Amino acid sequence: MSELYSVELENIVKRFGNVVAVDNVNLKIKENEFFSLIGPSGCGKTTTLRIVAGLEEPDEGVVKLHGKDVTDVPTHKRNIGMVFQHLALFPHMNVFENIAFGLKMKKFPKEEIKRKVREILEIVKLEGLEMRRINQLSGGQQQRVALARALVIEPSVLLLDEPLGALDLKIRQHMMVELKNIQRKVETTFIYVTHDQTEAMTMSDRIAIMKDGRIQQIGTPLQIYYRPVNTFVASFIGEAVNLIEGDVKEDGFMETRLGLVYCPESEIKGKAAIMLRPEVLEIGNKLKDLDNILNGVVQAVIFKGSYVEYRIEVEGTSFIIHKHGVTNTEKIYPVGSRVEIGWKRESSLLIPLD
Amino acid sequence: MSIFLKVFVIMVFIFLYSPIAVMVLFSFNESKSLGVFTNFSLKWYEKILANPHVWSGLYNSLWVAAVVTVVSIILGLMMALVVTRYNFSGRSILESIILIPIIIPEIAEALSLMVMYIFLNIPMGPMTVIIGHIAFDISYVTVVMRARMIGYDKSVEEAARTLGANEFQTFIRITLPMLYPAILASGLLAFTLSFDDLIKTLFTTGPGFRTLPLIIWSSAARGGVSPELNSLSSFALSISFLFAIFRLRAEKGAGR
Repeated sequence: MSELYSVELENIVKRFGNVVAVDNVNLKIKENEFFSLIGPSGCGKTTTLRIVAGLEEPDEGVVKLHGKDVTDVPTHKRNIGMVFQHLALFPHMNVFENIAFGLKMKKFPKEEIKRKVREILEIVKLEGLEMRRINQLSGGQQQRVALARALVIEPSVLLLDEPLGALDLKIRQHMMVELKNIQRKVETTFIYVTHDQTEAMTMSDRIAIMKDGRIQQIGTPLQIYYRPVNTFVASFIGEAVNLIEGDVKEDGFMETRLGLVYCPESEIKGKAAIMLRPEVLEIGNKLKDLDNILNGVVQAVIFKGSYVEYRIEVEGTSFIIHKHGVTNTEKIYPVGSRVEIGWKRESSLLIPLD
Repeated sequence: MSIFLKVFVIMVFIFLYSPIAVMVLFSFNESKSLGVFTNFSLKWYEKILANPHVWSGLYNSLWVAAVVTVVSIILGLMMALVVTRYNFSGRSILESIILIPIIIPEIAEALSLMVMYIFLNIPMGPMTVIIGHIAFDISYVTVVMRARMIGYDKSVEEAARTLGANEFQTFIRITLPMLYPAILASGLLAFTLSFDDLIKTLFTTGPGFRTLPLIIWSSAARGGVSPELNSLSSFALSISFLFAIFRLRAEKGAGR
């Protein structure tokens, strides 16, 4: 028997006028998975999420929830929960009424509504705030109400549309950990849409990266960080990336504007790019035991706390290097100094260029 | 704020309200004179309140305004929903057309109504007055409602849908309560507009049906300005004032 998926999208296409917002998207999201859809604004991730919710109708394709075709089922019969970008709390209701709304619509008895609301308030840590009005809550608390309101109906899948966007950094970081904990506790599939890759990396089991309505790659955070399938994913994920374009001459060698460099052995031939994450590059004066060593000049040094970011120019090409474990200022190379940078071929990745 | 501005603001207020103040003051004057205030007296008020025409006029004005308000709210709400929610060709033209009744002279509106009624051979009376008021109050209601709906977050309705509410339940439980301040504010506006209206009523009413402004006007036309008329106008004014206060409160509530 085939595995039962929580959400399946098959060949989904959505057009707005002449614009193709979602271009043949296929997704299979597992039970209890924390799945993120990320990409730059306008990439179609929110539209994809709204199609799962039934708030947008796809022009082509099939939406399945737990193996059942729901493409023509209206939103209110899909049993999904959704947390909206601007939370969309009901301003004319208090916390209890907001959370109880879904249960009332589903005609639960009064006593059970009370019990369920109490339980969910405990999970999101808002006990005792039942009678508060929405405008008397802080941003973080409103966030939790929105989450509780969507979770209390025990949806088969919870859809989150950039829910942390409005919060400031500290609360956002806190909510990320919290969200992941809540997801484990309630054992529900979460689909999380964001343009912020840190949020996705922190919380997700798997991530899909979208661009121009198409899915570029689906994988675990580790996979998409170290094994991006194209240069778009390589640059979109992570704080920074170094890409050296060139021609793969023979297995293990590539002709670049910086000369011949060692690259990992692979099937890829012809036009390609070497991807180097900033933390895999070494910096020093007498580097040893590395496959590639280049000479450069320090253009900028930025102290970031837990690491130092160098920008180093090598024959007109700029490299970003993150040096961790710097314990005193003597080890920092000043701007203008000549340094060597280097890496082992196996810590780089070859990405085909089209 | 500079002294100059303060003085300026005070002068504007004097300019705005001194005629009303004089009228109200002399409605309490014992003598018939409009030049000299002799003694405080409520006798003109007693006189008008003893007048059955005044009461029937007030009654007519109130019920006409009530009907006009309810119908204008329903039609105006629907109009505003159409122009703010849906994208269709000709929407901007429609939006401008709605506003036209606000800018055309009232006398033209009144005359056009009368001509139309005569042309269609509709006997004039309370119904023609009500239709006339509604036809123009819709514009005001739509404008107020539309202004409120522009900042309205549609995802609140979508949230209700995801929570299991169908379109009708969403409208009743979410959309209407959220628009309540706008409905109240535009309703009170429609009510005051209808309650105060003279010109359209004058042109569209039939024999025997008179509203309060009509009674004031005909009494002024007959006997000129008198203390009795002063007190009658002050009386109508105080009712309008009451509704204006309600409206301001409703608008304040909506701004929350």
